Amino acid sequence: MEAVQLTAKDYKSAVKPIWCPGCGDYSVLAAITNALAEHGRPLHDVAVISGIGCSSRIPAYTSVYGFHGVHGRSLALASGVKLARPDLTVLVAGGDGDGLSIGGNHFLHACRRNVDMTYVIMDNQVYGMTKGQASPTTDADWTQSKLTPEGTGVNPVQPLTLALAAGAQFIARGFSGNPRGLAKLIYEGINHPGFSIIQVMSPCITYRPEQRDWKSMMKDSAYEATDNLAEANRRLLEEGDFSTGVIYKGPKPAFNPIGSGNTPIAEIEKEFAL
Amino acid sequence: MSMTPEEAQNHAPKLDDVGEFLAHSLALENEAAERYDELADSMEVHNNHDVVALFRKLAEFSRMHAQEVKEIAAKYEVPHLKPWEFQWVDPEGPESGAIENSHYKMTNWHVLQLALHNEERGQKFYAGCAVLSDNADVKKLAQEFAEEESEHVDTLKEWIPRYPKPKENWDEDMDPPAVNE
Ligand SMILES: Cc1ncc(C[n+]2csc(CCOP(=O)(O)OP(=O)(O)O)c2C)c(N)n1
Ligand code: SF4
Repeated sequence: MEAVQLTAKDYKSAVKPIWCPGCGDYSVLAAITNALAEHGRPLHDVAVISGIGCSSRIPAYTSVYGFHGVHGRSLALASGVKLARPDLTVLVAGGDGDGLSIGGNHFLHACRRNVDMTYVIMDNQVYGMTKGQASPTTDADWTQSKLTPEGTGVNPVQPLTLALAAGAQFIARGFSGNPRGLAKLIYEGINHPGFSIIQVMSPCITYRPEQRDWKSMMKDSAYEATDNLAEANRRLLEEGDFSTGVIYKGPKPAFNPIGSGNTPIAEIEKEFAL
Repeated sequence: MSMTPEEAQNHAPKLDDVGEFLAHSLALENEAAERYDELADSMEVHNNHDVVALFRKLAEFSRMHAQEVKEIAAKYEVPHLKPWEFQWVDPEGPESGAIENSHYKMTNWHVLQLALHNEERGQKFYAGCAVLSDNADVKKLAQEFAEEESEHVDTLKEWIPRYPKPKENWDEDMDPPAVNE
């Protein structure tokens, strides 16, 4: 039987997004479905996993397998899915709060474990779903939340620098205002064997309306992807938060569990004997 | 009024292959239809039912135009372009109005302004292609499409007076979603 060419529309579900009109996440959904269409895998061979947040609603809006999980636990869930079903293409979607606050620990270990999956982290520097509190990527002097009227006073996390330090092997930044360019990054991330992370600057027009200005601030990186760690770090620092492209593609192989994992419980218990 | 090549470069790429030009034309119309539908859906979800019908109508028009282009394209070999292989001068196609300019309280007046902006960009895209291309077939088709887009612009301009410009505080919401304001 001849394979049917699927379009981006086929990867969208019939559920209408409840995001605020104008939210950047609409374009991220378009980029994900476009990347999947180019990849061409059948719907039942793909799974999209998420935690909680506006951005984490993406699985409901796709027609592939999905799991809208617990806040901050998307990467742990997705690792489990991929290890149990290595034949699936696994994508993870979520926000900066989900991935870097409550999920920060999982973030570090997902980067170093290097399970073959693609993490699309929509960074709007705020908790959108809970009505606009500061997140780990919020600038220290942002004063627009009643919880932090004088700013957080805390240095924002640099997600990609952190990912690089933790051992991630595919690191990229995209912008929701350039959904075609973003689709390419996600497509490349899916093709990369191992953990790929794509930080997407995706404005929250309700709680951070000033992020509409990102459109004039984002620019393509002047560089091609490098496989040199020091060089990647230097570029992240040199080009700042508003440059897009693949920054680092490392050589380490994807996580491949060794051994059969069938050690008898009694043997394991011996290790804990007092 | 014809464009200079310098002006044209601000609106269009230089497409010398008819198939590639038609691939762009098809994408332009299909994406416009999808964007209007997306906006209609999101307005429906946010109970702004006044503007849903107009967005749907605009989506329907874009689909009709896509169908017309498809019929012309059937005579040519149109390549499959990956989303990132299109040569738009901006990140998105000329008629995929900026999504960040939509608002849950927008009115039909705003919808028509958005549509007018899109059609004007579409017209300039085709007019620019006609100026820049070295291929006689592309030039001819692009000129025809530009003329059609001019008609759409005129139609929208006729519609606009039907919907009065909203008052300055049109986006005022006594129960706003943003508690920080
Ligand atoms: C265990 C737990 N703690 C806290 C919350 C409340 N909560 C829901 S979403 C969210 C943060 C959302 O921010 P982000 O992940 O950046 O996503 P966005 O909504 O901005 O897309 C929080 C704190 C929760 N649902 N579960
Ligand atoms: S609150 Fe912000 S992040 Fe959430 S849907 Fe609205 S614009 Fe998007």
